[in-house]
Amino acid sequence: MCIVHYMVHGTSNHELFENLRLELRRGSLVLACLAALRQERYGYTLRKTLEEQGMAIDEGTLYPLLRRLESQGLLLSEWREEEKRNKRFYRLSADGKLILKQLLGEWQSISSSLNGML
Amino acid sequence: MNLVDRYLKAVAKALPEAQREDIVRELSEDIRSEMEDKAGELGRPLTESEQQALLKRRGNPLVLAGRYRQDYRTLAFGRQLIGPVLFPFYVRVLSFNLGLTFAVIAIIFIALGVSGQKVGVNDVLSSCLLQLFIQLGAVTLIFSLIERHLTKNPDRWDLSGTCGGLRLDLKIGKNSSLPIERGQWISRFESVSIIIASTVALIWVTGVQRYPFLILGPAASFLKLAPIWYQVYFPIVLLTVAEIVRATINLVRPDWTRFRAVYNIVSHSGGLVVVYYLIRSGSWVAAVGPATEITEQYAHSIAIVNQWTYFALLVAAILSVVMLVVKVTRLVRSLRRGAGSPSVTAPAKEGD
Repeated sequence: MCIVHYMVHGTSNHELFENLRLELRRGSLVLACLAALRQERYGYTLRKTLEEQGMAIDEGTLYPLLRRLESQGLLLSEWREEEKRNKRFYRLSADGKLILKQLLGEWQSISSSLNGML
Repeated sequence: MNLVDRYLKAVAKALPEAQREDIVRELSEDIRSEMEDKAGELGRPLTESEQQALLKRRGNPLVLAGRYRQDYRTLAFGRQLIGPVLFPFYVRVLSFNLGLTFAVIAIIFIALGVSGQKVGVNDVLSSCLLQLFIQLGAVTLIFSLIERHLTKNPDRWDLSGTCGGLRLDLKIGKNSSLPIERGQWISRFESVSIIIASTVALIWVTGVQRYPFLILGPAASFLKLAPIWYQVYFPIVLLTVAEIVRATINLVRPDWTRFRAVYNIVSHSGGLVVVYYLIRSGSWVAAVGPATEITEQYAHSIAIVNQWTYFALLVAAILSVVMLVVKVTRLVRSLRRGAGSPSVTAPAKEGD
């Protein structure tokens, strides 16, 4: 009985943790993408950069996110040939730079508040 | 077409049309960059299984395409039945089925109106509501089962299918450990055709009960259907609805060939009972109006129609008996063959 109780609650706790972790990461990923795109990159190199910095993101999440940020006016993109292949390069727009600055301020404020509490 | 192209084709099919080309170009570039990177690390080109593993890691093409959509509509009754990935397909299939059904209803009622038959608003509404209920139920059931499968088994897909290159492995539960040859499966095209044909038949049968003109034509002015047809109306409707349900089940589980074989025996037996009662009645059409007003010419016409109906029913009964014997024989043979093994497979032609 106890084992069953542990298994049921163990599983739901794990699911709960996963959901909360995803929620926490979602906002951080936007910030990470914007920060990485201060320098112009195309999708694959952006993904590699984020992975090297410990912010791994799968392509099924990254590309829809880039499109959303572009439609919100925070990113600019253009197709260009590089190494004989057409690639889509992304960079921060003027609005994106402004928003990134504000978000970084917010992030640092949250971080210092949390550090004070933990 | 190589694996990457097949994967991209499967993704493209589920993408919003306006962005399709752009998204596929970008995804294609990302996949090829990753493959080049891996090949560079290994110092050799990737094998097909390595390419497959890399694509598999990217996830089900349907789910991947769903992430690009801005439309997050779902269907839920308490719990979610159809999620945002399948919802656009659900709406498309339902719209197509309902559109086709309502077109058939419209044609029938227009034909009735043009021929001078009295058509009530209630008749049109009740026919539409009945079909709406059947289509909504069947399509929702199929899609909620696929949704459940996708959620529980996100990795059970491959690129060997013919439907946009993608094949969802819908073998669920106990039978998944018993491989069944795909050549023996009931074709999904066949199941969809039966669902559509049976739905049209159901509309027609429902219409005939109220408007004998649909079967008697201009003769409906002096002929009417005998009471026996009204007695067998519900058994006929029941058999037709059962056929729709059976085809819907086989659409989701095309490997349930033995289920279809057993169902066919039951349905043919039911059909035979209906034909038996029809033959026994002895009269299938009667004259409109009192018997004293029937002219000799009308009486002669009625006798001819009854005679031909009798022959037609007799032929139907003989064919049903032959079909029943064939189906029982095939099932018994398949049971004998399968006695030594736990396979649930019936012969390839079973039930055809």
